[in-house]
Amino acid sequence: MYNMQKRVTSLDILLLTVIIGVLSALSYYFATKLNYHWNWSVIPNYIYRYDQVTGHIKAGQLTQGLLVTLRLSVWSILFALIIGTIMGIFRISPRPLFRMISSTYVGLIRNIPPLVLIFIFYFFLGDQLMSLTGITDLSYSMEDKDFPLLTFFFGPIEQLPAFLSGVLTMSLFEGAYITEIVRAGIEAVPKEQWEASKALGFNRTKQLTHIILPQAFSQSLPTLAGQFISTIKDSSIVSVISIQELTFAGQELMSATYRTFEIWSVVIILYFLLTFPFSIAVRALEKRMNRHKQM
Amino acid sequence: MIVNKSFRQNFSSNKKFFFDLFIFILLILTVSLLLYEGSEKLGYNWQWFRVPSFIFTYDNDIFIPGPLLQGLMVTLKITGLAFVLTFVIGLGVAILSLSQSFVGNSLARIYLEIIRNTPLLIQLFFMYFVVSPIFNISGFWAAVIALSLFEGAYASEIFRSGITSIDKGQWEAAYSLGGNTKFAYINVVLPQAIPRIAPPLAGQAIALVKDSALVSTVAIYDLTMQGQSIISETFLTFEVWFTVAAAYLVVTLLLSWTLDRLARSFKSAW
Repeated sequence: MYNMQKRVTSLDILLLTVIIGVLSALSYYFATKLNYHWNWSVIPNYIYRYDQVTGHIKAGQLTQGLLVTLRLSVWSILFALIIGTIMGIFRISPRPLFRMISSTYVGLIRNIPPLVLIFIFYFFLGDQLMSLTGITDLSYSMEDKDFPLLTFFFGPIEQLPAFLSGVLTMSLFEGAYITEIVRAGIEAVPKEQWEASKALGFNRTKQLTHIILPQAFSQSLPTLAGQFISTIKDSSIVSVISIQELTFAGQELMSATYRTFEIWSVVIILYFLLTFPFSIAVRALEKRMNRHKQM
Repeated sequence: MIVNKSFRQNFSSNKKFFFDLFIFILLILTVSLLLYEGSEKLGYNWQWFRVPSFIFTYDNDIFIPGPLLQGLMVTLKITGLAFVLTFVIGLGVAILSLSQSFVGNSLARIYLEIIRNTPLLIQLFFMYFVVSPIFNISGFWAAVIALSLFEGAYASEIFRSGITSIDKGQWEAAYSLGGNTKFAYINVVLPQAIPRIAPPLAGQAIALVKDSALVSTVAIYDLTMQGQSIISETFLTFEVWFTVAAAYLVVTLLLSWTLDRLARSFKSAW
């Protein structure tokens, strides 16, 4: 296996035969046995549509869902970063109290399925918080077209309470993973950095903000970016609490049109197109940072 | 961290620790009381006494598992089956991606990219709504296959890093004994790699328990789905969700504890 010369091996031939065999069997099966009429022509309508009243091209349901997924992921990762940084600092705090708080938080979140957590957060926290802060009432009194900026950043205002509880849920959930990334980042900073900054007369807060955290974050940048990809993927789960992102749009379209095969194929491709560029970027980033290390 | 240790020594004697523990417990109690009161103010009627009957009941001294316990059994069954498949897929893909075969490499690469760049939920839907009607697979197996394909991608990376961590000399030694790649894998490399792989693989098993909750979205009656159906009948939203979460917590913590001990005994045995 350490012979890196590229040549055609017996495994190549075997695999090729298997692939060709499977593909031909599949196409035979599709052509003769499968009783399904593919109809791809309905799909473009859901990606963009031509609005005859205004004469503009508008985003279809799937594109709108994709935009909600993006908004949700960006806001969630921002809040998760804040939560994760605080909890990460707590995690390495000299006070046992802070360590207990953050390890309980991380332990709870990482050992309960995201689906169950999302249900609990949504029903337990989301409902109470949204009605306590009056956001639900606020959202009824506002119109989309009066607040273009708000609509751009948070999506349609009528969905605002649901969207915010989705963001809250996602950021509490991703925050636990970021806590661990931050902790690992801080622990990776050599202890001499702590000693040197202490010798310079920095107190603990100053040590963290000026010396340790900048190094910890720059080291864990690829991992954090990877967590952003996970956030995009995990955001599909919030479709169960009726947040109208891509997965929800797919489910709605499926029950409305019965074009099951086409819609789920398109949705899976859309998710892939959304995350794959990020994955490539993360890999490039990792490579660059490792190159710097070797020099 | 060494720095923190010196910090800790100045800062926290035993007394300090118990003081903090006390505050911590107080904090948890206050927060849960606030949430409890808050939900009652919003008109929620707590009925914890109804929960035990959903877990199990006794009828004439005969133990009858309730829906939640039945759901837990389904969850464990799915997890177990999917883990076996995950192991096979992970190992297979790792060997393919380490082989010299161009087709094998590309196959592994395409599989990994597709699985790692799409959400599990969508893969599950795709498997359930698209693939299973085409090939006439039951919903249960569609879910198991989707889960194991997903975890298999992560397991294959674990296997790959374990195999590449084995010293190059071991391969050369295996070849110089006259063996081929199969011989090297079975007799030399894998026996050394698997103990190294065991701890991260155990983590993958725990992830599998958690991810299996998603199969409730395709109408398989696992723990989560049973919880949902009880809630739709009784409206005991919070009680049931907290019970379900606690059940998962117990399973994952128990699993991680036992696997940890197993891995430790495994390590000392090798």
